[in-house]
Amino acid sequence: MTRKENIRNFSIIAHIDHGKSTLADRIMEITGLISEREKKDQYLDKMDLERERGITIKAQSVRIPYKAPDGTEYILNLIDTPGHVDFSYEVSRSLAACDGALLVVDATQGVEAQTLANVYLALDHDLEIIPVLNKIDLPGSDPDRVAREIEEVIGLDCSDACLVSAKTGEGVPTLLQKLVKQIPPPEGKPDAPLKALIFDSWYDSYLGVVVLFRILEGTIRLNQPIMMYSTGKKYEVTRLGVFSPEAQDIKELGPGEVGFLCAGIKELKDARVGDTITSPDRPIDKPFPGFKKVKPMVFCGLYPVESAEYETLKNALEKLQLNDAALQFEPETSQALGFGFRCGFLGLLHMEIIQERLEREFGANLIATAPSVVYKIEQVDGQVLEIDNPAKLPPPEKIASINEPFVRLEIHVPNEFVGNVLKLCEEKRGIQKDLRYLTSTRVIITYELPFAEIVFDFFDRLKSVTRGFASLDYEVIDFRPSSLVKLDILINGDPVDAMSCIVHRDSAYHKGRALALKLKKVIPRQLFEVIIQAAIGNKIIARERIAPLRKNVTAKCYGGDITRKRKLLEKQKEGKKRMKKMGSVEIPQEAFLAALKVEE
Amino acid sequence: MLLYIHIPFCKQKCHYCTFFSVPIFPELLEIYLQGLKKEIILRAKEFNYPSISSVYVGGGTPTLLPPSVLEKIFNWLHKNFSFRECVEVTIEANPETINGKNIFAVKNLGITRVSLGVQSLNDADLKFLGRRHTAREAISVYYMLRDAGFNNINLDFIWGLPGHTPGRWIKTLKKAIKLKPEHFSCYALTIEPGSRLARNKDKFNFPDEDMLGQIYVYGAELLNAAGYLQYEISNFARMGYFCLHNQGYWEKQDFLGLGPSAVSTIGDRRWQNPANIKDYQQMTARKMQGLDYETLDKKKKINELIMLSLRTTRGLNLKTYRKMTGKDFLEEHARLIQLLYKNKLLKASNGHLRLTRTGMLVSNTIIERFMVD
Repeated sequence: MTRKENIRNFSIIAHIDHGKSTLADRIMEITGLISEREKKDQYLDKMDLERERGITIKAQSVRIPYKAPDGTEYILNLIDTPGHVDFSYEVSRSLAACDGALLVVDATQGVEAQTLANVYLALDHDLEIIPVLNKIDLPGSDPDRVAREIEEVIGLDCSDACLVSAKTGEGVPTLLQKLVKQIPPPEGKPDAPLKALIFDSWYDSYLGVVVLFRILEGTIRLNQPIMMYSTGKKYEVTRLGVFSPEAQDIKELGPGEVGFLCAGIKELKDARVGDTITSPDRPIDKPFPGFKKVKPMVFCGLYPVESAEYETLKNALEKLQLNDAALQFEPETSQALGFGFRCGFLGLLHMEIIQERLEREFGANLIATAPSVVYKIEQVDGQVLEIDNPAKLPPPEKIASINEPFVRLEIHVPNEFVGNVLKLCEEKRGIQKDLRYLTSTRVIITYELPFAEIVFDFFDRLKSVTRGFASLDYEVIDFRPSSLVKLDILINGDPVDAMSCIVHRDSAYHKGRALALKLKKVIPRQLFEVIIQAAIGNKIIARERIAPLRKNVTAKCYGGDITRKRKLLEKQKEGKKRMKKMGSVEIPQEAFLAALKVEE
Repeated sequence: MLLYIHIPFCKQKCHYCTFFSVPIFPELLEIYLQGLKKEIILRAKEFNYPSISSVYVGGGTPTLLPPSVLEKIFNWLHKNFSFRECVEVTIEANPETINGKNIFAVKNLGITRVSLGVQSLNDADLKFLGRRHTAREAISVYYMLRDAGFNNINLDFIWGLPGHTPGRWIKTLKKAIKLKPEHFSCYALTIEPGSRLARNKDKFNFPDEDMLGQIYVYGAELLNAAGYLQYEISNFARMGYFCLHNQGYWEKQDFLGLGPSAVSTIGDRRWQNPANIKDYQQMTARKMQGLDYETLDKKKKINELIMLSLRTTRGLNLKTYRKMTGKDFLEEHARLIQLLYKNKLLKASNGHLRLTRTGMLVSNTIIERFMVD
């Protein structure tokens, strides 16, 4: 058991690309935890996907022994946080496990919305925050300006901010000294009833569920019985240890310590992030506050391109769910797409990650429908329905009102783009709540707007109207009645349920026309004529025609050409497998996402 | 067995061409001839001095070779293969390479059919294609061939060039029909990756898909009306003058290809010689087989049957298909065939399934649908 006076639990708060993982690597290297040779770039980001996107999806923690220049030996527990708006609950649990945080800001850029949201979370948990200005080795860095910005925006004293280059290691030793001086050691008594916070858990096919926790009070020992507070389920600790960075077994861990345990837990939902571990013999009265079951907010249909792959897709989703309690799915049938699944995600990024992992890790050949939010429908008979699939909207005569989720949206943007952002938010049915100048050149714009509008093409549009300079954060606040209708798409007269979407009445005609036009562009010319129609109820509001293919012919095919031409056609056929056949029409996968990409 | 000889020499590469050819240098020609002689002996022995049903001398520009060299090659062929059943010997010729000096020598080789690369009767088109002759020169060479006694002449044309319209194409064809050749090959311009045209294609405005469709259909109808029967997507001939050699490819007969880059298919085996004269010569010196061996399994054979037979106006023999697959083609693809029929892209009669003219225009898409996975 480590003396709690010598423990420091901290995390790093940073915007994507501001250098969180690089700094973590450098700390591990400078403390001697990993050698240059062992170092893969960005040790903490395990999955390829994360490395590619430069984000951490699952939090990981690492125990770093650190010998200060005065000879004191510390244990630093670096608790990693996922870096995206979809995972704000996980972030809040990771921060709750810390006593302090390094706020890393790119000295060439400045504070971003996402960082700010996390800083506020950290402040909510009374964490000691150490400002760190990174990338000082780059010519464009302006630490003074960014320090001023942090002071103005967050109100954090930056007179003593650490200047580092995570890339070269410059300033990192000083940062470590400051860290052990400024971040307080944890509290707690080793003989108190056990109270430990779960801040991450995942499924390992050999060990079962692995739980990452931080002890607030009491002691955890190997082979000791434990109990999950929220479920009351009891287990025995079969393995106890720390990651440093590889797993090391340990007999006991005391207050303030961070570690992992296995206890024969079969399912992730029995060891949810935010739950409290206690002892069945001496249970605590009150759990660690803030536990909630995360609810998916964004839904889409995932279908195998070939119906025979349904089971494969199901198995893949089950496997992903083992490690992702927030992923939900249930079987769904579509007339157009056959058997598939309605899947629920925390947000858009979560959705994209799951789709990519299904395709990459499981080789699934998928058709994804346009994402949808949950609507609360009050029927005339008084019944209230929650629907997550536009195709399930009851007929208009049965609907008393439709309520849709609203979000509070905070956008950080350089002042020259304010006009564009306001215009975009207004167009997206937003209600302006606040507009604040952070500095003379940076603005925070707060809006309330329908979540559905964000789920559509908001991110792409925001990026393009601000040339990538905006950052944003949002949270769902409530459901509000809206005037919404269902827009249907018909191909050669047959409705394609998977292409239905719910839109605001005022923009329905416009959207219908834009969607039909977009489909005309994404569906290639076929052997036969294709008619695309958009309809509201029985009323056709748009019609487009795709003329039949006129010429696709190989002019010459003699002895020397045969193999090449055959392979070409075989490849062409293979490529078309990724298309969904509806009647005689071959529809490419992206057509099902066309609703997302209609040009305004 | 069909015999193909590849002569890999050209004065200059045409802009659309990606066939293997190089400028003619005496040393290189010598290496080529060494290789070719060796390969003729090697393959003749390997396949037991087979009987040849037709010969096709292509290139490259075969008529670029001096008559004495062509004679040498033909002597080697006659020594090593049986020509008793041979009914057609075609040579490809470019207008600028035929003259009073070589024309009779060529005739005396036993050539029965000349395929003349006219490509267009419009000088601007010829320039665009990178041809080294004018329309007038092509016409005069055509008459020279006639005078020399050639009575089976094909004219090669390329359509779909920048500025082509159905009207302009009809005008060209009408001029060509007046020459009364026995055969027309009319190829849609294909921009082959690696060709000079592929690099420059953005500089030109090509006719759009619908315009190309019209050019094809109008042109074919004109040729039909003039007494030329269409027997394949790009080939038209007077009755009795279909190219037996090319029909052999589409009927999946065995073919032996000699010379660099030439492809052979004998039984289940297909191979290609190196597209490089020195490598080719070395391969024959080491008595080696061609590269890129491919064994034609059942699936490949079925797909090639579909692909090749649907190129022809005779179409796919349903009995042959059943014999090969054990399946009834009409049943297997009932829905698609019905749709294609309804849209006038396909017809069936006399136990054959064939594409209509508009069907041929989209034959890649149709054939791909019929292919097996």
